[in-house]
Amino acid sequence: MKHFQLRSRIQDQVAVIYPKGHLDAHHVERFEQEIRRIMENRVMRIVINCENLDYISSAGMGVIMGYLDEIREKMGDIKLCCVNNQVYDIFDLVGFTDIYDFLKDENTAIRAFA
Amino acid sequence: MFKVEADLTVTIPSSTELLKMVVELTRHAVEILEFPDKEVQQIALAVDEAITNVIKHSYRYEKGRDIRIEFFIAATGLKIRIIYAGIAPEMDPEAVSVERLIKQKRKGGLGVQLMRKIMDSVEYSSSNGLNICEMIKWKKRETVG
Repeated sequence: MKHFQLRSRIQDQVAVIYPKGHLDAHHVERFEQEIRRIMENRVMRIVINCENLDYISSAGMGVIMGYLDEIREKMGDIKLCCVNNQVYDIFDLVGFTDIYDFLKDENTAIRAFA
Repeated sequence: MFKVEADLTVTIPSSTELLKMVVELTRHAVEILEFPDKEVQQIALAVDEAITNVIKHSYRYEKGRDIRIEFFIAATGLKIRIIYAGIAPEMDPEAVSVERLIKQKRKGGLGVQLMRKIMDSVEYSSSNGLNICEMIKWKKRETVG
């Protein structure tokens, strides 16, 4: 069984990333490559749909944090949606909830870029 | 208070592949103490962060180096000691804000902050070529059995 899976799609010039499972330092490279690939395609509006994300450590949060400044400089943003309570608590502990928009569902997150 | 001998000791080779196993093991050890679910998850995360730091900074991703994890279980709380060799850690005395890390385009710097927010105490020491990270989480009064 794979502990971490990832897929993404683009809708209305917004990239939606779906991380699934357990995102720790072992799996973070794949997550970072996906964000870089999206940015290289000049898509700077990114939604991370965390519906199936069970766990995230600082390694995963570091990737979300490390590209934010560059993305905002290019008039984009990273928004998060569908975050379960456990994962939300972790984001909240490091102060992400003051910096990123956390939306209830994916459509709301995509529309928030309009 | 904690016993001199650990209640559970596990030695793992340095490999990020084993992080999930360590998280699961820690959850089970913490569940014995009947910490609230939220704290169980967060203590397991603190151990993940500590072990990740060892692999990344002290062993520079070299595989197969020893990391010993000791769990001390008491009615009043939990002590976790992580013992390893390699490069001694250098800790920032002050927490850096997330805003500043973002401005600096840094991807690191959150791990130790998380450990300090989750645990009641986090201490690093080094002697005779060994490094020790010791973390304590006390049970809140109403959850002490």
